[in-house]
Amino acid sequence: MRNIMNILFTSFTAFAALVGCGVFIAIFTVIFYRGLPAISFEFLTDQIRVAGASGGIIYNLIGTLILLVSALLVSAPLAIGIALMQTVFLNNGALKKRLELLLYILNGVPSILFGIFGFIVFVKYLGLGKSWLTGGFLLGMMILPTVTIALIERIRSIPKKYLEAATGLGLRKSQIIFSVILPQSMSGLTTGSLLGLARAAGETAPIMYTATIFAGATIPTGIKESPVLALPYHIFVLAQDAFAPAAIQNLWGAALVLILLVFMLSIFVLPLRLKIHEEAHHA
Amino acid sequence: MLFQNKSPIALYSWFSTVFLLGSMGMFLFVFVYQSIPGLAHSKLSFITGDVWYYRSELFGAGAMILGTLLVAWVGLLIAVPIGIGAAIFTSEILPAKLRILVKITIELLAGIPSVIYGLLGVLFLRNWVYKLLTPFDPLSGDTVLTAGLLLGIMILPTIMTMADDALRNVPAAQRLAARGLGLNRAETICLIVLPQARAGIMAAILLAFGRAVGETIAVFLVIGRQDNRWPESLFSLRPLFEAGQTMTSKLGGSEVNIAYGDTLHWGAMMSLGLVLLIIVGLVTHLSARLIKCGAVHA
Repeated sequence: MRNIMNILFTSFTAFAALVGCGVFIAIFTVIFYRGLPAISFEFLTDQIRVAGASGGIIYNLIGTLILLVSALLVSAPLAIGIALMQTVFLNNGALKKRLELLLYILNGVPSILFGIFGFIVFVKYLGLGKSWLTGGFLLGMMILPTVTIALIERIRSIPKKYLEAATGLGLRKSQIIFSVILPQSMSGLTTGSLLGLARAAGETAPIMYTATIFAGATIPTGIKESPVLALPYHIFVLAQDAFAPAAIQNLWGAALVLILLVFMLSIFVLPLRLKIHEEAHHA
Repeated sequence: MLFQNKSPIALYSWFSTVFLLGSMGMFLFVFVYQSIPGLAHSKLSFITGDVWYYRSELFGAGAMILGTLLVAWVGLLIAVPIGIGAAIFTSEILPAKLRILVKITIELLAGIPSVIYGLLGVLFLRNWVYKLLTPFDPLSGDTVLTAGLLLGIMILPTIMTMADDALRNVPAAQRLAARGLGLNRAETICLIVLPQARAGIMAAILLAFGRAVGETIAVFLVIGRQDNRWPESLFSLRPLFEAGQTMTSKLGGSEVNIAYGDTLHWGAMMSLGLVLLIIVGLVTHLSARLIKCGAVHA
C-alpha cells in the first residue's frame, strides 16, 4: 500500500512537470509553425499596409525598440541610485526592509494601472497626447523593481574582504562605490535590465492608452503627440479584428518576431539566473 | 543643512530614492483622488451593487469583482496542483542535469508575453471551450472559463519557480533523517518537506493570485466582456460558462475613453482601479512578508 502510494505520488509529480514543459513546447511549436511562412525580407523591412493584411512590421519593430531603449534609460540610472541607497547609505535595518518591500509592491502593480496612470497624468494632464516618451517612462518604472533587486543581490554578494581592503586603504565611501561596488556589480545591472526588458517588450496594457497607435506612425521626431507603432499592440489589435487569412498569417508572423525578441533578451540571462537560484540554496 | 557633507553619489542616491517614493506616492494619490467622486456617489453599493449602467449613473462593480475572483480561482485551480507537483518533481526527484532543462523550459514559459497567450486564446482555446461546452448551449467560446484556463497556464511558472525555491530551502539533512527512519520518498515529501516549505508555497500561491487578478490583455481578449452577469445562485456553475467581465477587462476597454471628462463616470472607473490596486497591494505585501527575502525573480 505504501509503495503504491509512493508510485502514484511520484507519477503525479512527473505528470505535472510533463504538462508544464509540454505546454511550453506546444505553444512554441505552434507559433513557429504558423509564423514562419509569414517571415520574409519584405515582412521585416516593409511598413504596415491594408490594416496588417499585407506589408510588414518594420515600424512596429522600431517602435518597440524605441520604447525599450527609453525604458532602459529610465530604469538603469534610478536602479543604481536606489540599490546604493538600500545597500550602502541606509544603515537602519528596518528602513532597508521597507524600501525592499516597496519595490516588491511596485513589482506587483498590475500593468493596466500604469497605463491608466499615464493616461491621466501624461496624456491628459500634461497634454502630451500619445507619446513614445510616456510609454518608455511607464515601462521603465514597471521594470525598475526587477533591475534594482537584481543589482541589490549582486552588491550583497560582493565578498566582504574587498570592501574591507578598500576601507583599509583609507578610501572614502564614494571612492569605494566607484572603485569596488559598481564595477563588481555591473553584471547584476545587465541581468536585471535584460530580464526587465524581456518583460517590457511584450507589455501591451501600459502603452495602449499612452504611446501606441495601430497604423500611421513612423519614427517619432518630437515628444508631444508622437506615438509609435509597437509589436504587442499590433498583435493585440489584430487578434480582435483580423479575419482575412493573409492578415492572420501576418499576425502569426508578428507573434513569432515578438517571441523571438523576448527570448533573445532573456536567453543571455538564463544561465546566470539559474545559477543564482541554484547557488542560493548552497550558501 | 542635511546634505552639506554628502558626496555627489550620495546626493544622487537620495534623489533616486526620493523619486521612487514620490512616483509611488503620486500614483496612489492619483487613484485615490480621482476615485473620490465615484465612491462618494455609489458609496458601499460600488462593491455590493451588481448593476453597472453608466447612462443611468448606476455604478455597481459587484459583478466585475466576482468575475475577477472567478477567473483567478479557475486559474489557481489549474496552476496550483500542476505547479506544485512539477516543483516537487524537479526539486526532489529529478537528477541535477535534467532539472536544469525543466527549469529552463519553465523560465522561457514565464517569458511569453500575455498578448501572445491572448492570441492563442482567441485562435485556439475559445474554439475548444466552445466545443467542450456544446451540451450547455453556450453563446460563444468567450467565457469566464476560457479566461481562467488561460490564466492557469500563465501563472503556472510563477507557482512552479517559487515553490521550487521554497522546497530547496528545506535542509537536505531533514530528508536524510526521514528516509533513515524508514519513510519512503512520497512520505518524506508530504510529511517532512512540504510542511517546512509551507510559507514559501503560500507566498507563491498568493503572488500568482495577484498576477491573475491584475492580468489584463489575455483576459480581455477571451472573456467576452459582458457587463452585469450576476449569477442567480452563488453556487451555480453557470457563470463559468458565460461571458463575463473582470475589473481589468473593464479598465482595458473602450469605456475608459468614453468615461474621461465625465467626473462621475471617470470617478467610478478610477474606483475600479483603486479596488484592484488595494487587492493586489495587499496580496503582494502578504506574499513578501511570507518569504521575507528573495524571489522577485519568479
